[in-house]
Amino acid sequence: MIPLPILLTALVYSFILSLLAMGFTLQYITLSVPNLAYATIAFASTYLTLTFSLMGLTPYITMPFAFILGGAISFMLYKFVSFLRDRGTSIVGLMMATIVFDLIIYAGMNIYADYLATVFKIYAGSFSLSEFDFKIFSLPAVLFVSGITSISLVAFFTLMLVKTKFGVAMRAVMENYSLASVHGINTEQILSIAWFFVGGLAGLSGSLYPIWFAMDPWVGARMFISIFAACVVGGLRSIYGSLLGGFIIAFSEVVVTYLISIYFPWVWAYRSVTSMVIAAVALIEMPSGIAGLIQKFRGGR
Amino acid sequence: MSLIDLIMDIITFFCIYAIITLSLNFQQGYTGIFNLGLYFPIIVGAIITAYLPGRLAMIVYGIDSKLDFSANNAVVVSILRSKLSSDPLMSVLLLAITLAVVALTCYVLGFLSAYPALKLPADYLALFMLCASESLRVIGMQTDWLAGGVMGITIINPFWWLGGFSYYGMSVFTILATVCIILLYQRMCDSPLGRLLKSIRENELTAESVGKNVNGIKRTTLAFSFMILGLAGVLHAFMMGAVVVGGYTRVDFSFWPWLMMIIGGTGNNIGVFLGTFGLVIMRRIMIVGKHYFWFLPFNVVWFEPILLAIMLMITLVFRPEGILPEKSPSIKDYVRRVLKLES
Amino acid sequence: MVSQTLSVGQNLSSKESRPLLIIDNVSKRFGSFYALQNISLTVPEKSIVLLIGPNGSGKTTLINCISGVYKPDDGKIFFNGKDITGMPVHDVVKTGLVRSFQVPAPFKRLNVAENLLVCGQNNPGEGFLGSLNRQRWRFFEKGQVERMFKVLKTIGLEDKVDTLAGELSGGQLKLLELGRLLMMNPRMMLLDEPIGGVNPVLANKILSHIIDIRNEFGTSFMIVEHRLDIVMKYVDYVYVLSKGNLIASGTPTDIVERKELYDVYLA
Repeated sequence: MIPLPILLTALVYSFILSLLAMGFTLQYITLSVPNLAYATIAFASTYLTLTFSLMGLTPYITMPFAFILGGAISFMLYKFVSFLRDRGTSIVGLMMATIVFDLIIYAGMNIYADYLATVFKIYAGSFSLSEFDFKIFSLPAVLFVSGITSISLVAFFTLMLVKTKFGVAMRAVMENYSLASVHGINTEQILSIAWFFVGGLAGLSGSLYPIWFAMDPWVGARMFISIFAACVVGGLRSIYGSLLGGFIIAFSEVVVTYLISIYFPWVWAYRSVTSMVIAAVALIEMPSGIAGLIQKFRGGR
Repeated sequence: MSLIDLIMDIITFFCIYAIITLSLNFQQGYTGIFNLGLYFPIIVGAIITAYLPGRLAMIVYGIDSKLDFSANNAVVVSILRSKLSSDPLMSVLLLAITLAVVALTCYVLGFLSAYPALKLPADYLALFMLCASESLRVIGMQTDWLAGGVMGITIINPFWWLGGFSYYGMSVFTILATVCIILLYQRMCDSPLGRLLKSIRENELTAESVGKNVNGIKRTTLAFSFMILGLAGVLHAFMMGAVVVGGYTRVDFSFWPWLMMIIGGTGNNIGVFLGTFGLVIMRRIMIVGKHYFWFLPFNVVWFEPILLAIMLMITLVFRPEGILPEKSPSIKDYVRRVLKLES
Repeated sequence: MVSQTLSVGQNLSSKESRPLLIIDNVSKRFGSFYALQNISLTVPEKSIVLLIGPNGSGKTTLINCISGVYKPDDGKIFFNGKDITGMPVHDVVKTGLVRSFQVPAPFKRLNVAENLLVCGQNNPGEGFLGSLNRQRWRFFEKGQVERMFKVLKTIGLEDKVDTLAGELSGGQLKLLELGRLLMMNPRMMLLDEPIGGVNPVLANKILSHIIDIRNEFGTSFMIVEHRLDIVMKYVDYVYVLSKGNLIASGTPTDIVERKELYDVYLA
């Protein structure tokens, strides 16, 4: 039997991870540039959460601010990358440009942690905010908040894609960038909004992370492995595939590793490596991921 | 820190980074393999250096089997120090064995990594390598018996027999090894092989259609540069006298070398060499002269990534081809300089 | 009018020569679409064969199947008595069968000299260990440089030797494409639109180079080309493809006289 804390951890983790994986995939599809700064953008907002908590406020008040912070950074990154792309910079150069942002945010987080350390006399290099959380039905609130946020955001996003004019234009841009711009769609505007939205989404889910998990400035680098694995399992270029991939990776990292660790206790420490193993196997054995499997299944009928 | 120590420090760091950036240039600048996970073989080299020579020496000198190299690190290292100080032959042998084992391991690992890597488009190859390296770093940090885990581990110095000069002994060895590796790369890149690798970078299908086994060559390129990077890991570990796997970060051992290469001139070994030189000097002076930055309200080490980012940004915007851009030799020049014939 | 000029390339086709390339019942599909359906044809030694057909008739697919880019779903391909079906591209080249691309695909950031030199086969300096032994590859390389200058003279790009391939004009790229194949000293060349987008004067020059190469080295050619007005007078034999099927073959005179084929072409 799986103990409740493990199950809860897996659930909270999968809500956060699947949102992040979806955002990463969306950015990749729209610009064909993997955003290496993505995880760091997401976790920059954790320090906002920490600040609010230290000021005696509930950590959930961060959410709108985290959305704006993540969105703003992501928007600037988009502007920089698309500026370089218009000048004919290669894919290598564009990925380096995302690294530029990764480094600045990473350093910024550390500087801010130093600052918090001097102001609040705490060690901000590593922290967890679970003590600031409250309970609903004797379960931690973050479970419900992350679940509701994640489900409603995906629902909102899907409705927007299907129902609104903006969504139709965005699907056209995702389908074929150059064709869409020929047909008079303002791709620049669409993508700016999309990147802002996706960055905000990342910031939002990142801000919830320290309410359950231990946080340090390196979490971005570690989580990037899980995000990448989720996208690979999802099929690299499928938004809903990556959502599913997020759940699969989160559950294998937490639940499957837990089950193995009953017999081999040392495995538990290597949770974050599990996802890399899955990603490697998925890349070799089913390069088109879940999306590919579903397509095959549909095609077969 | 005396001036001679500072100069020695800069030179050895420059050597290690020169090996790394030239290996990167061999992959990216010449063959066009987009690898952001440079530090994978470096970590492998460091881990083996942490694990192997100390334990070998324990066996050779018959040290109490109740002591463990990792768990009783301080005790064992001090015993080994007294033994190895009077045994230059064994010291050098341990160094040679470590280098050989790492070279072989990394060659095989590079060869194996090519199988998933060559199936992927460039951008996902980069991500795959980055994530694989980050995973290896996590493994190293979580496994205490391998390389001391988070706390790290003290290792032997193969030049203890030089007494007070053991640090310089390792430095000189590093410099010599680097010179050999630079000459090796220069000779390879100046030969028809360099041209072949560049043709693969330019157009894989065309290279295939003129009879080149593109995947085979890319696999060997990866394996070879993995081998050299592994050696850089060994040299770095012996230089530091300790291995802390957590310290092999993507910023220090992948992004900085990338910047050095891009600033210097991708595809041009001399440019890459100069770029490395300039940036290493800048970084070391910043680290060594930390206390001159007292006016900053935060630790100066965080200023480094920002500086790196700004320089990268400026280079990408204003001079994406680097200070010394790649240049094809004219045929007259080629015949005279490389073939050493009068045309 | 056309028949009067046909004599240029016909002197060899009358002789009985053994087939160099044999394509036996080759099919290739993409999904459920047949790009090639049961194609069988032969190319005799020292001959110039033309492959024509409207867009999408499968000409380039056939070249890709022969050169190893695609693996045929069905059928066999023999070159010089050797089964090359489904061989990797670089191994096909080793048998002496080389190809060019419809859109010239040079090594853009290498200069013309390097573009040609890299095409040498079995260069000892191209091995990872071999490259270290300069004495060993120096003389091979010297031979390559001499050969390169001959090739440059043949294709008339001598003054462009140090120019980056990315800076050449369209016609010069077509010549470079031909030069690259020549460096490999092949027994047969597959040329995908060697005069596509080239002005008629240069086109005629390229085609007469091809005749010269055939006469001098005994190389065979399979040429895919649309511009029949120029190319017809240079070839020995013509195959016509339509919708993945081989619908006609014959000497240029035969094909020119069969008016119904023009309808296929124009359709």
